[in-house]
Amino acid sequence: MGIDRIRNIIMDMAKLSEHSVLTAIESYEKGATAKQTIFQWSEQLRVLQDEVSDLAIELIARYQPVATDLRFIRSCMEISYGFSRFGRYAYDIVDVLETMGSISDCDKSAVLEAATTVREMIRMSVHALQSRDKDAAQKLYEMDDTIDTLYRKYLHEIITPHPKDDRRLGDARCYTSALLILRYLERISDHACYIGDSVHYIATGESSPRR
Amino acid sequence: MASSKEQVVDGPKDFGGSSDMAELKHRYKVSIRGLDAWFGTKQALKNVSYDVKENSVTAIIGPSGCGKTTLIRCLNRMHEMTPGATAKGQVFLDNSDMYDRKVDPVVIKRRIGMVFQKPNPFPTMTVYDNVAAGLKLNGIKDKNLVDEIVRESLEGSALWEEVKNELDEPGISLSGGQQQRLCIARALAMQPEVLLMDEPTSALDPIATSKIEELINELKKDLTIIIVTHNMQQAARIADSTAFMYLGELVEHGPTKQIFENPQKELTERYISGKFG
Repeated sequence: MGIDRIRNIIMDMAKLSEHSVLTAIESYEKGATAKQTIFQWSEQLRVLQDEVSDLAIELIARYQPVATDLRFIRSCMEISYGFSRFGRYAYDIVDVLETMGSISDCDKSAVLEAATTVREMIRMSVHALQSRDKDAAQKLYEMDDTIDTLYRKYLHEIITPHPKDDRRLGDARCYTSALLILRYLERISDHACYIGDSVHYIATGESSPRR
Repeated sequence: MASSKEQVVDGPKDFGGSSDMAELKHRYKVSIRGLDAWFGTKQALKNVSYDVKENSVTAIIGPSGCGKTTLIRCLNRMHEMTPGATAKGQVFLDNSDMYDRKVDPVVIKRRIGMVFQKPNPFPTMTVYDNVAAGLKLNGIKDKNLVDEIVRESLEGSALWEEVKNELDEPGISLSGGQQQRLCIARALAMQPEVLLMDEPTSALDPIATSKIEELINELKKDLTIIIVTHNMQQAARIADSTAFMYLGELVEHGPTKQIFENPQKELTERYISGKFG
């Protein structure tokens, strides 16, 4: 009964966190404002994370779960943290948009390229959790390498001296917002991998060393 | 006076059993090979093989009637004392087969002590005499030596401080938890190398249970302990290794962390998760 309850909360968090990130990316892409909504979702995710922790502690204290149940409960605490971070980074993305003002004239290709992969990673991590796919972690780490490369490449590009009239990166608003958002996407990507690790642990009992 | 730390109870270390499993020497304290046991025609143990490391605690778990108690009773040849009960196979203590025909079961019982589910101090004896009884039966008459062993055994069972002024009181005047520790002291007085415990806390309250569990943790520094328990959490708390039995067979065994976190057999998982049947 408690296990079902915790599973339902986790799946609610999966949907809400995925929706938060997708909405934040859409805001960046289309210049829409969703800061207040995403803030509320982020807070909701934080409350749900606390609920998962409380329930997990209660289940451990009252029922002393073992084997798959124990692995699932332990992992749910980590997974709920991951989903909570998704929500927080989604909020950070829209916060950047508000701080920077209009960035409609900026080149968004680097961020949107990373966002496409991160979106897929979120979906894959949620699906892995639903289906207990022990092999998803490996695929997620491969995709994470792509995100890391994109982020580092962009960072390297903006710190490399350019001729004064080089306008490829746009003004400071453009590359600062892009770099920050790439950084948030890179962190979301890491947490998607950790969720994959947790699913692998639930399914096999083997912990993967953090890469 | 001989130090009570030396072996004072008669009994050879090598009790004359065959030692054809030389590779087991010094690796395991107890090694069971192909052990079958019957009550009349009913088979209670089926081809059990298992190794127990020295100075470790091994928990044997499984549903009622699975053969846990029969197994540990085979480990000090107590099983065969039941009318109609028989056993076949090999059980090595160190490197000697205790089921070899040349072996005297009495010697085995000196080296492998046992504590039962229900505290069973000798009802007509004092606290002191309960502990000293085995020594006296084995011909130790040196009063000073017996005093020393009684004290060491009561200290070893974490009971000395509670009963040092009540040594002449009847053993059965103690609380249930104290009685069980008195029984442990009685077993320790014989200076066993292995201690078998058959659900030693099932009749005790949580405080007494906790004391026995702490005691087990201390005793394993000097002894090898094999405990039968129905309490999953107790096995998880105190055992280094855990063995799961079902219908007379050893289904799975391994480090306790592995058995409770990641059992390899579905049957084990269902049992420890309380999802049997």
